Amino acid sequence: MKRQIPLLIVIILGFIFVIHVFVPHKASADFYDWYQTWIKAISPFMVLLGIMSLFMVHSTKIKRKVPNWQYSVITLASLIGTGAVGFIWGTQAGTPFMWLFKNVQMPMGATMFSLLAFYIASAAYKAFRARSAEATVLLIAAIIVMLGQVPIGIKISKLIPETSNWILNVPNLAAKRGIAMGVGLGMTATSLKILLGIERTYMGGGK
Amino acid sequence: MADKKMNFFEKMQALDRRYIYLVVALAIIIPLLVPFNSRTYVTEPTENIYKKIDSFTGRNDRAVLLCFDHDASTMAELFPMEVAILRHCFERDIQVFTICFIPAAKPLMDYALQTAKEGYEVQSGIDYVNFGYRPWAIRIPIMLKMGDDISEAVEYDDEGRKLTNLPIMKEIMNYNEMNLIVDFAGSAAVLSWITYARAKFGANVAAGVTAVMAADNYIYLQTGQLTGMLGGLKGAAEYEKLVDVFACHMEPDENGVMQPAPRDFSKEIIKNTWIKMSDIKNRMHKTARIGMNAQTVAHLMIIVFIILGNIGYFISKRKKDKVN
Repeated sequence: MKRQIPLLIVIILGFIFVIHVFVPHKASADFYDWYQTWIKAISPFMVLLGIMSLFMVHSTKIKRKVPNWQYSVITLASLIGTGAVGFIWGTQAGTPFMWLFKNVQMPMGATMFSLLAFYIASAAYKAFRARSAEATVLLIAAIIVMLGQVPIGIKISKLIPETSNWILNVPNLAAKRGIAMGVGLGMTATSLKILLGIERTYMGGGK
Repeated sequence: MADKKMNFFEKMQALDRRYIYLVVALAIIIPLLVPFNSRTYVTEPTENIYKKIDSFTGRNDRAVLLCFDHDASTMAELFPMEVAILRHCFERDIQVFTICFIPAAKPLMDYALQTAKEGYEVQSGIDYVNFGYRPWAIRIPIMLKMGDDISEAVEYDDEGRKLTNLPIMKEIMNYNEMNLIVDFAGSAAVLSWITYARAKFGANVAAGVTAVMAADNYIYLQTGQLTGMLGGLKGAAEYEKLVDVFACHMEPDENGVMQPAPRDFSKEIIKNTWIKMSDIKNRMHKTARIGMNAQTVAHLMIIVFIILGNIGYFISKRKKDKVN
C-alpha cells in the first residue's frame, strides 16, 4: 500500500492533466480551477518543509561535529537572523532586512558569480589548446564570439560581429535544436513510463 | 636568442595561476574606476524590445510585465537592463507591472523600482504596480490565469491592495492588454512564458538574460517566439543607449534651458549619435556601458592569454618533437 497509493495518485492525476490539455470542456476547466486553489494552499507547506529539512541537516552536522560544522552554525544563524529581521521590521526600503540584502547578500552573490571570470581566464590560458582540428575550430569560434560581444570587435572589422552572429545563429542553433529535440523525446518517453507505472524510481527505495 | 624566447614561453606555460588572477582583476577594476568612452552598437533584438515597449507610450490599455527570475549573483548583468527598461517606461508614461517567483528576487525587484523611480513623479497603483513575490509552485497557474483575468490571477499587489481597486487596472484585463512580458533570468525561466503566455494566449515575450544563457535563447528569437532579447551586459548597454538617445532626449528651449524632448526610434539617429560617459550625470544610468569597458578589456585579456598559451604549447611541442 505504501507504494501503490502514491503510484495510483500519480497515474490518475497524470492522465487527468493530459486529458485537461486536450479537452476544453467546462468540467475540465472547473477541475483546473479547483486544482489551482489546492496548489495555492499547498505551496506554503513546501517552504516549511524546506526550512525543516535545512534545520535537520545542519543541526545534525553541528551535533556530530562533522568537518566544517562551523559553517552550519553560520547558515542557521543567518537563516534565523534574516528571517527575524524581516518579520520584525518588514522588508520595505530602509528596513534592516533591505540593509542586509544590499550589504551582505548582494555583494556575496556578485562575488560568487564574478569568480567565473577568473576561472575562465585561467582555464583559457592553461587548457584551451589547438591540439586537434576540432579544438582549433572551437578556439577560433570562441575568439570571434568574444570579440563580437564587445565594441572593439566592430572596430577591428565589421566581419567580426557578422561572423559572431552567424556562429550563434547557424551552427549554435543547429546543435541546440538537436539537443532540444533529443531532450523533448526523452521527456515524452520518461513521462509515458511514469504515467504507465513503468518508471518508479522517483518514489525512492531502489527497484 | 631563439633559446631565450623559447625559455620565456616555457616559463609562461608554467605561470602560477595567481598572476593570471591578478591581471584579470586589474583588467576589470581599472576600467570600472576610470571609465572611458566606447561606442555602443545597438543590435536588432534590443531594438525590437525598445520599439515594442515604446509603442505602448501614453496608452492606458497597454502594459508591460517585468518578471524578475534571478538572484543577486547575476545582478551585475541583469540589474542595469531592468533599470533601463523601467526608466523607459516611466519616461514615456508606459504602464508597467513587476512580479517575481523566487524569494531572492523580491529585494532586487524593489531595489530596481526604487532606483528607476528617482527623478520621476510616478505613483504606485497609477503608473506602475508591483505584484510582489508569488511562490514558484503557483507560477504556471498564475501565468495561465493571467490569460483570462490578471486581477483574479494575482488579486492583491505587494502593498496588499486589491488589484480591481487600482486605477492602473481600469483598462487592463489580460494578455491582450498586458501585451509584453520581459523575463529577466540567468536560467531558462523565459521558456515557461513562451510555453504558456505566448503559445496559449499569443502574448509577446522578450528575455533579458545573462550572456551565458543568451545562446540558448537564439532558437526562440529566430522562430519569432521571442520578440526581442537583451543578452548580458552588452544588451543592457544597448538598451541604456536607446533610452538616452530617444526616451530621455533633451533639447534646449528658447532660453537655452534643456527640456525633455522624447523622440521616436530611428536607425539614422542612433548611427549619428555619440554620447560621452561624462555627459550622463547619474552613474546608475550608465552602469552597463561602464561595465562594457571592463568586459572589453577582460575579453581582450582572455584572448591574449589563449594566444600566449597556444604559442607556448606549440613551441614546447616542437622542442619535444626535435628531441624525439
